[in-house]
Amino acid sequence: MIKLKGMYDSMLRCIISEDMDATDFSKEFDEVRGQGKRFLPGAKVVLDFGARPLSEGLILNIMTDLVWPAGMYVAAWITYDAATQDLLKRIGLPTSEPSPSARANESAKGGSLLLQRSLRSGQRVEHAGDVIVAGHINDGAEVLAAGHVTVLGRLNGLVHAGYNGDETASVVVRSMEARQVRIGTKIGSLDRDERWWGKMVIVRVNEGSVFIDYWPVIKSDSRDESAGARSAD
Amino acid sequence: MTARVIVVTSGKGGVGKTTATANLATALANMGKKVVAVDGDVGLRNLDVIMGLENRIVYTLIDALEGTCRLNQTFIRDKRIENLFMIPTAQSRTKDAVTAEQMIDVCDELRKEFDYVLIDSPAGIEAGFRNSAAGADEALVVTTPEVSAVRDADRIIGLLESMDKSPIRLIVNRIRPRMVKKGDMLGVSDVLDILAIELIGMVPDDEAVVTSSNKGEPLALSQSAPAGIAFRNIASRIAGADVPFMDLEMSDSGGLFGKIRRAILGH
Ligand SMILES: Nc1ncnc2c1ncn2[C@@H]1O[C@H](COP(=O)(O)OP(=O)(O)OP(=O)(O)O)[C@@H](O)[C@H]1O
Ligand SMILES: [Mg+2]
Repeated sequence: MIKLKGMYDSMLRCIISEDMDATDFSKEFDEVRGQGKRFLPGAKVVLDFGARPLSEGLILNIMTDLVWPAGMYVAAWITYDAATQDLLKRIGLPTSEPSPSARANESAKGGSLLLQRSLRSGQRVEHAGDVIVAGHINDGAEVLAAGHVTVLGRLNGLVHAGYNGDETASVVVRSMEARQVRIGTKIGSLDRDERWWGKMVIVRVNEGSVFIDYWPVIKSDSRDESAGARSAD
Repeated sequence: MTARVIVVTSGKGGVGKTTATANLATALANMGKKVVAVDGDVGLRNLDVIMGLENRIVYTLIDALEGTCRLNQTFIRDKRIENLFMIPTAQSRTKDAVTAEQMIDVCDELRKEFDYVLIDSPAGIEAGFRNSAAGADEALVVTTPEVSAVRDADRIIGLLESMDKSPIRLIVNRIRPRMVKKGDMLGVSDVLDILAIELIGMVPDDEAVVTSSNKGEPLALSQSAPAGIAFRNIASRIAGADVPFMDLEMSDSGGLFGKIRRAILGH
């Protein structure tokens, strides 16, 4: 199924349901074009494919059967499939969530993204703001955020907070099970036998080094004692 | 008839897809269902060998797709079980010999004649996997309890989810309780915790699998081999029976073989 939703700044979000059969694409495109005859021409649209991988052929079909005939302007192509993101970037198509203009000048960040799912191996989310994952980040999955990252589940994959170099960014994780966390230009590493493994933690940068603490930070737990993750630049 | 079409997949190679396809097809047929096992691993065929049917191949799936023969001329009837068939593939071709559209058409044709269509697929996430899975409704994901196999299984599950296969169920193969106990292997509950899909069965590592594959006699026909029993249980669960998992099957602290033996003996 394909759904159209209003966003902010008169932007539209076109959600192409992840479990729609690939053979239904052309029929569904016809329907969307029919529905949007009045408002789609010239509209800014985010095409949201969920975790669906897109082949070159499918991208071409989307262009010829939806984007061009509908006269829309695609602000972003969103998919969590990392290989597809790389393909879209290679073709020169925008892959990151556009930021609402009002908030953008407030902190040069693009608002926050709440992801109500787990990310599996090979899936990646890149966002120009904060990211909250209400699920797990499995081994082989990646979250890259310009701002903070909060993981309400288990972290086995890779998180890079403050990817533009912002070292005030932090990473909060419900169950820390990753060997590495990146913040700004720093990389912190952790071994399985350290006491933070499997615990609820916050990771941040202080004076150029990556530090890990239990979260919520307990007063008696002074920073110096708990500083555990080694750092490398 | 309208068959259920089930693709057997894995991320990592060599974890037991072909073994599972042959054994589940055999077990389902033994339950009285009309079953066809399709070799979807073009260029690396071996389903025919494991099922012991390699010397009876005349036409392959590729011949049917190229119009050399009709699809039903590729059927090889099993010598032991009347309602079990297989469709071999070509060893001399590459994965591009079959397209997704062709697989969908083949599955739709088979659907009319069988209760179950099981498709053995190539490992990995490339076109070969996508094509062989294209015509399936459901998927079975096979993994061993190793970190790398589980990560690759996770990748495949993500792709199967976006291909709208449902249900997607998990077989954990080659479990060695002693290694789990020592911490050298993941336990089934660890694997489930990561993959978060429904478990349909656990198969112990069992030497009899190798000897029976070499003889071309699927183990699912054996009354005593632990892996054979495990495959039969999975077949029953596929058919909708509520076969309970044995207590210690789920435990990470060993005892799997002991429990299975006791269950066979019925105490
Ligand atoms: N439960 C088991 N116990 C012991 N050996 C097993 C078991 N399952 C599979 N094997 C052995 O593992 C090997 C690989 O199995 P199989 O060919 O079924 O894997 P596959 O996933 O189809 O491989 P490929 O990716 O190459 O197609 C075979 O030698 C098989 O006999
Ligand atoms: Mg195989």
